[in-house]
Amino acid sequence: MPVIVREKAEKPFVPKPDDDLLVCRCEEVTKGDIREAVHAGLRTFGEVKRYSRVGMGLCQGQTCQRLVRHIIASELGIAIDGVGRVKGRAPMEPVIMKELALSRRDSKGVDDYAE
Amino acid sequence: MKRYEMIVIGAGPAGLSAACVAAEAGMDVVVFDENQRPGGQLFKQIHKFFGSREHQAGIRGVKIGENLLESAKNAGVKVVLGATVLGIYKNKELAVRFGGAVHNYKADAVVIAAGASENMMTFDGWTKPGVMGAGAAQTLMNLHGVRPGKRVLTVGSGNVGLVVSFQLLQAGCDVVAIIDAAPRIGGYGVHAAKLARMGIPFHTSHTIVKALGGDFVDGAVIAETDEAFAPKPGTEKNLDVDTICIAVGLSPMSRLADNAGCDIVYDGAKGGYVPLLSDEGETSLSGIFCAGDVCGIEEASSAMIQGKIAAAAAARDLGYLSGEDFIQKTGEYKDSLKKIRSGMFGPESKGRADIARTDEGYPLSRSLLQRGFIADDEVTGFPSIAHGGGTRAVIECTQNIPCDPCQDICPQGCIEVGENITSLPALTGNKECIGCGLCVGVCSGQAIFLINDDFEAGYGTVGLPYEFLPLPEKGAVGRALDRSGKEICDAVVVETVNSKAMGKTPMLVMKVPTASLAGARFFRADADGARKGG
Amino acid sequence: MPNSRLGKRSADVIVIGGGVMGCASAYRLSAEGLSVIVLERDEICAGASGRNAGGVRQSARDVRELPLAIYAVKNIWPTLGEELGVDTEYVQKGNLRLGRTEAHLEKLRMSVTENTEAGLDLLMVTGTEAREICPYMSEEVIGASWCPTDGYANPLLTTFGYYRRALDNKAIFITGITVTGLGKAGGALRKVYTDDGVFEADRVVLCAGYHSRAIANTVGIDIPVEREDEEVFVTEQLPPMFDQVLGTADADFYGHRTKHGSFLLGGVSGLQHFTSNHDGHPADAYTAPSLSRAIIGFFPVFADVKIIRSWSGHFDACADGVPVISNVEEVPGLTIACAFTGHGFGISPAVSLAIKELVTVGESRAIDVSELRYDRFRAKQ
Repeated sequence: MPVIVREKAEKPFVPKPDDDLLVCRCEEVTKGDIREAVHAGLRTFGEVKRYSRVGMGLCQGQTCQRLVRHIIASELGIAIDGVGRVKGRAPMEPVIMKELALSRRDSKGVDDYAE
Repeated sequence: MKRYEMIVIGAGPAGLSAACVAAEAGMDVVVFDENQRPGGQLFKQIHKFFGSREHQAGIRGVKIGENLLESAKNAGVKVVLGATVLGIYKNKELAVRFGGAVHNYKADAVVIAAGASENMMTFDGWTKPGVMGAGAAQTLMNLHGVRPGKRVLTVGSGNVGLVVSFQLLQAGCDVVAIIDAAPRIGGYGVHAAKLARMGIPFHTSHTIVKALGGDFVDGAVIAETDEAFAPKPGTEKNLDVDTICIAVGLSPMSRLADNAGCDIVYDGAKGGYVPLLSDEGETSLSGIFCAGDVCGIEEASSAMIQGKIAAAAAARDLGYLSGEDFIQKTGEYKDSLKKIRSGMFGPESKGRADIARTDEGYPLSRSLLQRGFIADDEVTGFPSIAHGGGTRAVIECTQNIPCDPCQDICPQGCIEVGENITSLPALTGNKECIGCGLCVGVCSGQAIFLINDDFEAGYGTVGLPYEFLPLPEKGAVGRALDRSGKEICDAVVVETVNSKAMGKTPMLVMKVPTASLAGARFFRADADGARKGG
Repeated sequence: MPNSRLGKRSADVIVIGGGVMGCASAYRLSAEGLSVIVLERDEICAGASGRNAGGVRQSARDVRELPLAIYAVKNIWPTLGEELGVDTEYVQKGNLRLGRTEAHLEKLRMSVTENTEAGLDLLMVTGTEAREICPYMSEEVIGASWCPTDGYANPLLTTFGYYRRALDNKAIFITGITVTGLGKAGGALRKVYTDDGVFEADRVVLCAGYHSRAIANTVGIDIPVEREDEEVFVTEQLPPMFDQVLGTADADFYGHRTKHGSFLLGGVSGLQHFTSNHDGHPADAYTAPSLSRAIIGFFPVFADVKIIRSWSGHFDACADGVPVISNVEEVPGLTIACAFTGHGFGISPAVSLAIKELVTVGESRAIDVSELRYDRFRAKQ
């Protein structure tokens, strides 16, 4: 976790022609949304995610996180590895609640469930 | 809780290789894979692999996958398909969904071999149906038998872009162009050359700016790029396409390792965030290993070896392999990994733009890097393309890629690569070519041609690899194309050679005027097929 | 070695913790014209503020902290979004606390009586009445407490809203810096030691969640809290169903539908005091399945709903279940706001007001927090 000092942005937010570009398809977050979030003072992927919902959808950022990282880095003028990442969270794929409810940690070996 | 000695996540090349080694050492191994069929990307990889015999070079990915599955079965590995690992928890406990329920299993050792995901790029219209990852196009074609579209633009000229473009042609699509934002083609020259000689144009220093169309793609706008890879205004060109294949790299699927709590680091050269690993593939958490693309993007051949090393380390840790056996086994694996990683496309040189000469000192073909084919004036610079009389192999392999099946297969010993598998193949010169064509068939890069300039007065023949259906019959007439895909003369098929050893890459022998022998490299049958040669 | 890039190292007030309490306090204090530096070990909104489900609940609160909840719902939440310039997604459609057994109902009745006496408007309803309010619940529910003025908000946007406004007021936030201790000078608290050098201030507001205890310990103050892990998961987006916030008498689960359309559902496994999850580990293997079973029992409609993501968070569970919001007279200059025991978000706008007054005028005037002093803890007998 790098040390980051945050103060109010002095320059006003400048819209760009490609701000409408959809970046996170799951949550319909645009490039402009991400740029605005950065301008509002958010400095890491984690913060931009919590603010804009980018990477919070069905794919958990698997598709967009590389794109988002580039946008944040270029907006902040920092190296790509200083932005951070979306943490991998269970379930890796959406799971229906009743299937999860069957997880009682007492399953038999996989052979017993062979079809 | 039910505990396995090893749980492997992902039944691709890395995972299955790991499972085989562990099971052969005596461990109780289960492999989970979310897909309905095993093999990871292998069953989509209908092309032949590079490397050496130990890497199964010259064998198609599909076949390697079948072999691997067979070995896994024989070793007693349990492979559970349609099984998604939802999370890895403390004490190496996994939650796995299959058969309509979530099950929890523990493991003494876990191998995460979850592979990679395709990178996307944003441009106006990138979310339209018709824009897809090259891997997705490959899945449609090679697993489901569905053509992704009719007219395709491929964005990205790395090996994935090149290989998939060729497969699109095999599936009957038109590849309208292959573009790359970089000023040079990223993948192997031999892959590019296969496309160029069929007339597929390469546009380096070009990017896509827009996918045209309403509800689906019905065109693309491309433009030249500046030094920062941004489009230059005023250079836009419209392409008539209905499909846009994005092949701009892969990202390691490290999120399961992240979820497990393994230390994750950013490594741009490896494709993004990857688990921090020991040289045995162990993560920061004891007993959790990673292998394959999840550790950093490489070829399947490397993935298989990484899987073996990880499994051997786990087997040693759990007392199934003595320290000595481990050292001996992994010594071989590591040597093998070193070999496959060598050369100008290896992980250490990847993306380097400053390599101007081969290891042997020959200047690299600039035309090959920019247009996908070796220019006529560059050809003479390479020893294996040197001209001479009689029947001989002409090997248009001009970059140091790790591959040597041509050396092994020649029954006469005419071809030499040497100990270093990235060396350019050379003709030994003291042996006589019998014109069997095995080298033409085995070459994974389809870069070997068999030239006979004594066929009949004024005519010679060119034997070329031909992986398209239908295979033209003897007597079929058409035109010979040069390395750039330009028609240069009439041609008649005089023979097709398709022996078992050629691994379903038949050699098509076409007769062309002697003057065209040095240039004719592909055969295009006449559309009507009616004209018969004499 | 201190990092010179950090610039300013002294302020009127140093706030320790960049969660909702820290951001809201920084906002209010900076609005008073005070110079404020916020020190945060992780990033903004990374701890419990970024992980809770966002309940804005008055019902079933201990009467000692109820005034904060009532004040926040009456006076702050309805207009907070406007004040902060963000959509806090505040929805005030009531809270149902469900019971399945007679013992549950008894528990609910006691809480309703207590809360009513303390001035909150809520009542007991029958199972049938509860199903009229929220038709999706199963017949298992035989009664509930019903507080129509409860609701929920988005804790992420609320926290970032405070953060942005604090930045507007010239507050400085430094993240990725860990406070290692406090120090007095000339009889009052003056120094804040970090892993990146010393900071100085006239006043220090300590609102660092569970980490507050160790920091307060460095000036001889101990707050009896323990770390408790809780998990939340989020479902796929669903069409509008109901807007009530749900809880149960037995704390089987809690949750509600968000403006986004997904449901946030959370709770504990029963083993939450004894988990050995290390920091940063997202969740354990058994809490989400256990919550799923509970939720399906109360709301069968959720059986086929997809869970998209789960996460864990930890909070500072206090020995007596209510927070510490207090000046520490024996360490002049120190104000503590911690030990929120997992229900701090809903009262955060009011807590920040109390903090502002504790710092600027020495006592909380608008809201009575006298029962929440740091030195209230007594051994039995």
